[in-house]
Amino acid sequence: MSTSTPSSRLRDSALAALPVLAVALLGIAAWWLLSATVYAGKGYLLPGPQEVGAAVAENAGTLLLATLATLKEATLGYLLAIVCGIALAAVLSQSRLLERSIYPYAVLLQTVPVVAIAPLIVLWFGYNELSVVIISFIMSLFPIVNNTLLGLRSTSRTLVELFALHSKSRVTTFWKLRLPSALPSIMAGLRISAGLSVIGAIVGEFIIGSGNAQGGLGVQIVFAQGRMYTALLFAEVIAATLLGFLFFLVVSAIGRRLLQHWHESEA
Amino acid sequence: MRAVTSPAARGASVALRGVSKTYATGLQALAPTDLALAAGEFVTIVGPSGCGKSTLLRILAGLVEPSSGTVDRPGATATGFVFQEAALLPWRTVLRNAELLMELEGYRGPDCTARAREALQLVGLAGFEASYPHQLSGGMRMRLSLARALALRPALLLLDEPLAAVDELTREVLQEELSALWQQSGFTGAMVTHNVHEAAFLSTRIVVMSARPGRIVEVVDVPFAFPRAPELRATPEFAELTGRVTAALRRKAVAEATA
Repeated sequence: MSTSTPSSRLRDSALAALPVLAVALLGIAAWWLLSATVYAGKGYLLPGPQEVGAAVAENAGTLLLATLATLKEATLGYLLAIVCGIALAAVLSQSRLLERSIYPYAVLLQTVPVVAIAPLIVLWFGYNELSVVIISFIMSLFPIVNNTLLGLRSTSRTLVELFALHSKSRVTTFWKLRLPSALPSIMAGLRISAGLSVIGAIVGEFIIGSGNAQGGLGVQIVFAQGRMYTALLFAEVIAATLLGFLFFLVVSAIGRRLLQHWHESEA
Repeated sequence: MRAVTSPAARGASVALRGVSKTYATGLQALAPTDLALAAGEFVTIVGPSGCGKSTLLRILAGLVEPSSGTVDRPGATATGFVFQEAALLPWRTVLRNAELLMELEGYRGPDCTARAREALQLVGLAGFEASYPHQLSGGMRMRLSLARALALRPALLLLDEPLAAVDELTREVLQEELSALWQQSGFTGAMVTHNVHEAAFLSTRIVVMSARPGRIVEVVDVPFAFPRAPELRATPEFAELTGRVTAALRRKAVAEATA
């Protein structure tokens, strides 16, 4: 057991973050240098950090609203994918026949480019938030189904035998053994899908973008592109990236909390 | 007179008559076999890999249906099974792991918790109720696995090489504890092992098996009185007995190697 105090742990994680921060600073410095020399006076190609900062300040309200809109759509799509993905994997894990007949379609769904079916979704569900949520949902579904199924199939054989000896109920075995055993795999799928749900939402917004002045980051990106407002475009790309990263961090933190007793375990 | 924790803890007698097992692949894991365990006896089964000893144990547990023959044994509620791996649920505390089998058998309530605590006490894990499996050593995990089975107060305890994965010193200590637990609880025990010394130290009889097809080739009575002291392992009588069992195992191995 570690004997570290909270303050020393904080210092350790701050130290661990130093290399990452150093790279970020270097990157910003290189960006600034490039924009001030090669691209001097060509802000429409590569605006400098200060121009992007100014664009953020100027459009703070719009940016915030757009980020919140995307956050809402991505969260809804993601939660829907979690519920449906885990439920679908649970059903598929119950029978080899079911798995063989339905799983290939889940793979097929994954290989269809989302950009290609997004217009169809919009055609069917309209130029609205619902379409964006559905595209985000499709984008995040597959890794959750895949990883959950993998986890549900790799339950310890010894434990399955133990449960078989003392319980006749498949439902009990599922809830008390298979599902909790699959949790590390499920969390791995959720981490992958966290970023994908944001990408899906932005792709969706891209498609509905032209028809909507106020909307998520994808809409604003199309808008800024049309106005050749590159500094704002940069700000929006950064906001979208940070949003995806934030999603990933939150899900990772929840996963660590749930799985804290798994490490060093033999399961 | 043995001390028993409850009337249900008294050992059950078990009988296999003409029991064999042929798997769907055509592999005959076990030739027709007769074996009777008297109530309260502790039998170990030794033999080479693939001699069907694991199959025999799983037939005793009811996990494997025999292809022929009849089995008299107590029901699942009264049968404990301890595996080679501790096979614990990492998301459950020590206490909740110890309660698991009672929970699966449909028992509920404070009585279950009391029995789980009592079983943990028996294996020397009192005070670790709130810990998680990953915080325990290998030997402690095996103790927990044993406590989980003992909490059922089994009339029949089946053990599948439970000490194969722990280090030598821990193994001897656990053998002594297991022997004491058996004397205290009075269950009928059947244990599969590769280790002839372990078999001689723990059991009232040693069943020697051979492979292809799996069958019993010899049953050796172990005459040493209980409780058995650790020093027993250093006596000439102990060496003579383990020598005899090893010779029986070797005879078959040599016969097969030269056949």
